[in-house]
Amino acid sequence: MTGKILIVALCAAVGTFVGFAVLCSYRRNLEYLDGVCGLISELKRNMAYRRDAAASVLASYDTKNAHLKKNIGEYMAFVGAKDGKLDISRGFLPPRTHSGVCELFASLGGADGGAQQRELEAFGATFEELRAKAAQKSAKYGALAVKLGFLFGLGVGILTL
Amino acid sequence: MQEACSQLYKLVSDELANVIQTRLNPDLVCEVRIRNGAPIAVRYDGAPYYACKSGITRDIDAAIVAGAREAEAVVLRACEHSLYTVSDTIKRGFISVSGGVRIGVCGSGVVSDGRILAVKDYSSVNIRVPHEVRGCAAGLAGRIIDKASVHNTLIVSPPGAGKTTILRDLCRTVSERGLCVLLCDEKYEIAAAVGGAPTLDVGRCTDVMSGTDKKSAFESAIANMRPDVIMTDELFGADAASVARAATCGIAVVATAHARDTDDLRRKPEFKEILDMRVFTRFAVLRDAPHRGITVFDGEGRAA
Repeated sequence: MTGKILIVALCAAVGTFVGFAVLCSYRRNLEYLDGVCGLISELKRNMAYRRDAAASVLASYDTKNAHLKKNIGEYMAFVGAKDGKLDISRGFLPPRTHSGVCELFASLGGADGGAQQRELEAFGATFEELRAKAAQKSAKYGALAVKLGFLFGLGVGILTL
Repeated sequence: MQEACSQLYKLVSDELANVIQTRLNPDLVCEVRIRNGAPIAVRYDGAPYYACKSGITRDIDAAIVAGAREAEAVVLRACEHSLYTVSDTIKRGFISVSGGVRIGVCGSGVVSDGRILAVKDYSSVNIRVPHEVRGCAAGLAGRIIDKASVHNTLIVSPPGAGKTTILRDLCRTVSERGLCVLLCDEKYEIAAAVGGAPTLDVGRCTDVMSGTDKKSAFESAIANMRPDVIMTDELFGADAASVARAATCGIAVVATAHARDTDDLRRKPEFKEILDMRVFTRFAVLRDAPHRGITVFDGEGRAA
């Protein structure tokens, strides 16, 4: 009997873990988009007054998200290299977010102040929209994924017996 | 000077940076001229050469040839890939880099309604490296400083003869005598201020206003900074009127201008009024290598 309970508990734990992993992926994406939106706000603020080089704004931008840190590092390496090519790694990012981030980094510094500000406004709107969708998805499906994972695991455990 | 050299290495290709670092004395490099697809020219210790793998040469066939889009690469490196930081100065033909390095830029202008909107298709750049020669203005200082006052002085020479170097040392000398100097460093090449501090020695009593045009700098400085002396580089166009106004406010002005000599200066229409007003009481005419020297005249054209 104890063995059977253990198998059911194990299956439920595995299911919950898978659901939790799904929840984490939603949250990680949301955290990344939070970071990008913060970065765009910082760039817009700097453009409005100091107009420092984008690389120095990015270098001083503090983010908790490891993947955004990595992407910023890739941009800095491109700026620092004499014959570099901008290569922003995708990691866990959905294709839409990744292409948007690539476009954002590629657009930095390519125009005069007015045009750059307008571009940043447009990128800001795009990423706010992506963040709102990611927040909604995380709230709606994140907890659901944990519950479903638990129930699915429990079901699989019971059926196994 | 070290900052200027490290900036130069960042701006040029690795091959050229390596040549300058290992084969030449970086302190003697005055200019590096890069034209797309053409041999790279270097002004070394005041004389023209081409850069080659072993250092410098006069043989054009041995010269290092720049890449087809090398000028654009230099511009992008200079602004750290942020063109908006330099778009205004590029329209006026230059970029200022930290350490007092100034890059002259040529390309195609994008013009609308008679106004330059941007510069595209960069074709050549001229990287000018500043030199700090302490004491080079000692002789001139002795002839333009009377006790505790400074004569309104115009330093005159063709480009590349050392006006900025002389002006920087003169600024340091006057400042060290306790006079309050306002340095209007429009192109960031006299004091080469970075993050609010000069990287070249312009004296302890010098206030530096960088990046702003002379008219705005003079107006705000006269009203707010109470300088004894205003120093500025390269008078051009309407700048002469701003100088005349400052000089009539009881502030001494030391400035530079591009001209071969004072006769050349008189032929410039923008200088007619200020010369007729006899604002300047000293003219220092610089001669370039190989016969370097300074001749100082008073306002009447007599040797001073």
